[in-house]
Amino acid sequence: MIRIMIVDDAAFMRESIKLMVKDEGFEVVAEAVNGLDAVAKYDDCKPDVVTMDITMPEMDGIDALKAIKQKDPGANVVMVSAMGQEPLIREAVLSGASNFIVKPFAKPKLIEVLSSFGK
Amino acid sequence: MDGKGGICVSNSFIDEPMLEAYVYETSQIIENLETLLLESERENSFSEEGLNEIFRFMHTIKGSSAMMMFNGISVLAHRLEDIYFVIREEEDVTYGFTELVDLSLEAVDYFKVELMKIKNSETADGDNEELIDSLMVYLDKMKSDNGLGAKGDKKQPAAKAAEQEAQKYYIRPSNEEKAEADYYSATVRFKEDCEMEDIRSYTIVHNIVDLVEEIFHTPEDIIDNEEAAAYIKANGFSMVIKTTCEEAVIKEYLNKTIFLESLQFQAIGKDAFELFRPQVTPETVKEDVKVPKSSKMYKEKPKVAKDTSVSLNQSIISVNVDKLDSLMDMVGELVIAEAMVTQNPEVGNLEIESFEKAARQLHKITGEMQDMVMAIRMVPLSTTFMKMHRIVRDMCKKLSKDVDLEVIGEETEVDKNIIEKISDPLMHIIRNSLDHGIEDSETREMMGKPAKGTVTLEAKNSGSDVLVIIRDDGKGLNKEKIYEKALTNGLVDRSIEDMSDREVYSLILAPGFSTKEVVTEFSGRGVGMDVVSKNIESVGGNVLVDSVEGEGTSIILKIPLTLAIIEGMNIRVGSARFTIPIMSIQESFRSENNEVFVDTDGNEMIMVRGICYPVLRLHEFYDVDTGITSFDEGILIMVEEDDRSCCIFADELLGQQQVVVKSLPEYVKKYKKIDGLGGCTLLGDGSISLILDVGELRLSEPRRAAGI
Repeated sequence: MIRIMIVDDAAFMRESIKLMVKDEGFEVVAEAVNGLDAVAKYDDCKPDVVTMDITMPEMDGIDALKAIKQKDPGANVVMVSAMGQEPLIREAVLSGASNFIVKPFAKPKLIEVLSSFGK
Repeated sequence: MDGKGGICVSNSFIDEPMLEAYVYETSQIIENLETLLLESERENSFSEEGLNEIFRFMHTIKGSSAMMMFNGISVLAHRLEDIYFVIREEEDVTYGFTELVDLSLEAVDYFKVELMKIKNSETADGDNEELIDSLMVYLDKMKSDNGLGAKGDKKQPAAKAAEQEAQKYYIRPSNEEKAEADYYSATVRFKEDCEMEDIRSYTIVHNIVDLVEEIFHTPEDIIDNEEAAAYIKANGFSMVIKTTCEEAVIKEYLNKTIFLESLQFQAIGKDAFELFRPQVTPETVKEDVKVPKSSKMYKEKPKVAKDTSVSLNQSIISVNVDKLDSLMDMVGELVIAEAMVTQNPEVGNLEIESFEKAARQLHKITGEMQDMVMAIRMVPLSTTFMKMHRIVRDMCKKLSKDVDLEVIGEETEVDKNIIEKISDPLMHIIRNSLDHGIEDSETREMMGKPAKGTVTLEAKNSGSDVLVIIRDDGKGLNKEKIYEKALTNGLVDRSIEDMSDREVYSLILAPGFSTKEVVTEFSGRGVGMDVVSKNIESVGGNVLVDSVEGEGTSIILKIPLTLAIIEGMNIRVGSARFTIPIMSIQESFRSENNEVFVDTDGNEMIMVRGICYPVLRLHEFYDVDTGITSFDEGILIMVEEDDRSCCIFADELLGQQQVVVKSLPEYVKKYKKIDGLGGCTLLGDGSISLILDVGELRLSEPRRAAGI
């Protein structure tokens, strides 16, 4: 079981990801609705990998990524981005994002990215 | 597994719950978006927070809709996102505010229509080309007006800077001249549809620096360069590496690349490696590699924002209304079952103290449960009221009138099912007020009124009802005109003197009545106030009209808090049981036979405290066999609705009880329309009681009309 935490302010996206990883060997251990929430929950659940939306209220995904990386340099964070956010993805990669996935994405892609974080 | 479906989402993924979640969330976002736009319009500018929020809304709509393959919505949201992005990014950018709000609202309308189609399982195929073109034109104009370059925008310089920075971390100075290095060349090919190949390559380079001494790659510029992505797609991403690490380590690292299609890896000589060295001597700066400047906003955002909304967001879940409906039903059954047990006559005879204690406890809990279920179903009227802002805004623009919408008591809560049914009537009434009621500014000023008209939308609780009052300060209703019109349309057969003001005004609710000859775009499309009245009646409410000529009109919608449970008085007639809503009952009393007299039409009447009330013998009305036909043996119950009353004659009162209203079975309704029945309910002993709809009974004329 790969333990994942889903961070997205849109309930629909959280649901989508949850549905896609269902029965594929993942366990969703936490969901967060913005960066602050994610940083707070990260310590509690210590997931194997985090899917991190970029555009969110309160604290965006890049800042949350940085905060998580600071707490746990070994954290695996996959950015969930959209077309047009290329500069932000670069910043995320420089800040320690393990990978990224571009919306809209299909299930096989998501699984492929997330599977690489199996222990 | 290679996802050949391009950017499409595999079909197995689009199933009901996903679609539901999408429609639900997107509808909410659109509603919030609309409210925010209208608020901004009133303020005549976007607040910083507002802009951020609008941008995020567009971003989310774009992303979610793209996931669901609703491209029309996604593309439109994307265009708007682009515009708001520039406004948010660029300080002191000038832009046409009004035009942008108009365009955004137009987009909101488009989203709404498409969502409605999606909800109804139709194809979301609305044409938005024109709107998209307008948005492109708008964006281009805004950019050129502000000297931002037609296509590039600010990203360019930032990217350039980043590019130069990027050149710098080719070399690890700390490891310089350590042992002898090996040289390799590697070409990575990505899977066909992985997208953003340039950034993926960038990721490889960025993460490999710990393993290599030097690395050069082709294409060189992998930062914000669309051509690079295309090049990598076609030719793969090639690197030459100088490293002191084992070959296997490097190879393993590259093989772990996600979306790797193939990896060519081979050892090369130093000379071959040097061929790749760029002509510019790279500076040996490292470690503190500068992050490519993205955009200022992501930098300036406070690290620690207020953490209030975090928990707020999470403590709310959305539940399908159907589930609530069935929960409500079940709790209703539970209440009945409880009564069946605790009021079981056999048990009652036993007089067991512990049983009574337990029964009381059970009663308390079921009562609380019922209250809670009701509370869950209650939603504030605010969303419905908010929609009206939009109506008023659009109408004002089209009719060139200046009208304020004042909203009072929008926090008032009403059962969810009822709210859905009053939205259309409200809209219609407000349109009427603006179209027919409120005069244009000049006329208003001539009459000594403020130039700006006001429509007030107020909600308040009143007993088990909620009153929604729509008041305008327009020209009011003309009693004579209404009467004349009603007369010519054959809607009235009494003389105007015989009718109260309210009665005359109520004529506008009659089917086939419409005083405006000219049909305008907004109101009077053949559907009149009668539809409003019908809609409100269908949820058990009613409509009252009040008006003062020259000063304005009030339309009062009286709607029940809920349809599901009422406080009722159970009565018996022969072997039949009836339930009268407590709210309608004025009093009940015994009377002597000689107090009842017969009027000239043969109707029985009774005089109570100087007022005459018609008497309704339920046993006659519903043809029920009973031994009690004399007034001194039974009981009279005075009921009232809208100032109209009558006295119902029944055998006896059985007691007061909360009853769960069930509508009459369809087959009964189809078989015969029975006057005066609002539904039925199950009593504690398992028998069925018919709920009387007092408004439908034979009632007296309103007291005011009778001149009392």
